[in-house]
Amino acid sequence: MLLLVLPAIAIVVLFLYYPLLFIVQMSLTEGSSYLSPAGPIYTLQNYAEMVSRYLPNVLVTIELAALAAIVDLIFGFPFAYILVRKVRYRNLVRSFMVFPMFGALYIAFGMRFLLLPGGWVYNLLKSFGIQNPQLYGLPSVVFAMALFAFPFMVLNIGTALSNIDPTLEEAAACLGAHPLQTLQRVLLPLSRAGIVAGLMLVFGWSVGAFAEPLLLGSINEQRSLAWTLYQRGVVQTDYGLSTTMGIVLLILAFAVTYVALRQSKGVLGE
Amino acid sequence: MNRLLSTRRLTDIASHAYIWLLLLLFVMPFAALVNYSLTGPRGEFALQNFAYVFGSFTENLGWSFRISLLTLLINLAISLPAAYGLVRYNYPGKHLLFAFLSLPLYVPAAVLGIALVLTFNFTYRLTTSEWGLVLAMVVGSFPLMLTPTVVALKDLPIVFEEAAQCLGASKWQTYWRVVFPLIGPGIGAGMLLCFIIVFNEYLVTLFVKPTFITTAPVRVFNLVRTAGLLPTTAALAVVMQVISFLAVLLFFRIYGTRYLKGTYLL
Repeated sequence: MLLLVLPAIAIVVLFLYYPLLFIVQMSLTEGSSYLSPAGPIYTLQNYAEMVSRYLPNVLVTIELAALAAIVDLIFGFPFAYILVRKVRYRNLVRSFMVFPMFGALYIAFGMRFLLLPGGWVYNLLKSFGIQNPQLYGLPSVVFAMALFAFPFMVLNIGTALSNIDPTLEEAAACLGAHPLQTLQRVLLPLSRAGIVAGLMLVFGWSVGAFAEPLLLGSINEQRSLAWTLYQRGVVQTDYGLSTTMGIVLLILAFAVTYVALRQSKGVLGE
Repeated sequence: MNRLLSTRRLTDIASHAYIWLLLLLFVMPFAALVNYSLTGPRGEFALQNFAYVFGSFTENLGWSFRISLLTLLINLAISLPAAYGLVRYNYPGKHLLFAFLSLPLYVPAAVLGIALVLTFNFTYRLTTSEWGLVLAMVVGSFPLMLTPTVVALKDLPIVFEEAAQCLGASKWQTYWRVVFPLIGPGIGAGMLLCFIIVFNEYLVTLFVKPTFITTAPVRVFNLVRTAGLLPTTAALAVVMQVISFLAVLLFFRIYGTRYLKGTYLL
């Protein structure tokens, strides 16, 4: 009965889909002309400006999110594999893995203390003889973003891996395959769907990163879209431009709609 | 090579070491905050920062609890019927409808924030009301409640409901006495996820909050932005994370971890 789902539908239509359409309209108006008594001035100028002035911002956003997704894949695949095949204390691992869920803000904040002169990471690098390391920058931002999204990557790959029969690996080994060959010919092809979903999910989640580039990045990383959007929209009230950035961000993030559709199949079953 | 150091054993040791190394990385930012929040002005061990949390930050914690609680109640009221309508009835486009409902999870918080603050301003006139913030939290978090409830309901065979009705239970009695208790763990898992996300949410809140509300995570953000790195701010962040972690532990204690399957955690 659709009537039962109606309140939920009303909520998403009123507070998600209508607002998104609204910012599409807003992104076609000039500056804050939507507010002016003469009525909004419709223009494509905001999108032209995105290309001419804010292309570096878009590129750095994509770069950070893509790097975070790749880092998560490299560290997440072995992690998920060991977790599924070898670890018996999985509940303990689960309770540790909720920490990133509390939010990127605390991760970024905590990492600032680690990177501070006198912080643990700073001291560690110093004991290796590196003087005055430049710690605020791309590596720190990517690390924080990867840490935040890591559980999602492990979840997706882990689900795919736990559906692979362990005897397939044994069979490959019996037939004389080197572990690397088993990885390349058996495990990777069979878990491909999970890997793709994980990459897209982490990318889609990371394009909206806000606290990490702001608190851990150099000026270059601080150009990322979410933060620029906040400044243009809330601080400078340039609604036209900030909503245009919102649309661009949304398009980048919607690589993950595919994931949403796929998971809806998994949850609802046949 | 003796048996103790066979390759197999070595890979096992390396595997577990790898897991523990990454888990260590997970808690590292938290550990740094704890360490710093326990440091006094001259670098000595001190608890005084936490006195601040329960002094000047009480109001912020109060707002966080209040907003989370209201959001949870609305989430329950819309997710339970929605889950039932999605699982127990068959109609074309069901998968699409579920994806349509869970899409808010995949919209970047900054986009949701700017879209909501503009419509609150120009269409709904909700900018100066607490309800604007609560509704923003609801739309961003109710799919987290919906998913585990759907999973739990799908695992509950329909015969329980049929048996109750054969024995003369009314529709409402069936829901209250049979269905809801049996899918309790699923609902609990959803409530846990929603609480953790809403309690710690700062980004959408930053956009849509009325000026008289400052939740604890927003306070942390503002203080980090404007006042630099203070041990008192670290203490507030630690308290927030400890409360969230206790909620998780409490849930694990009551229900175990299997009901969180298919949500965020493996």
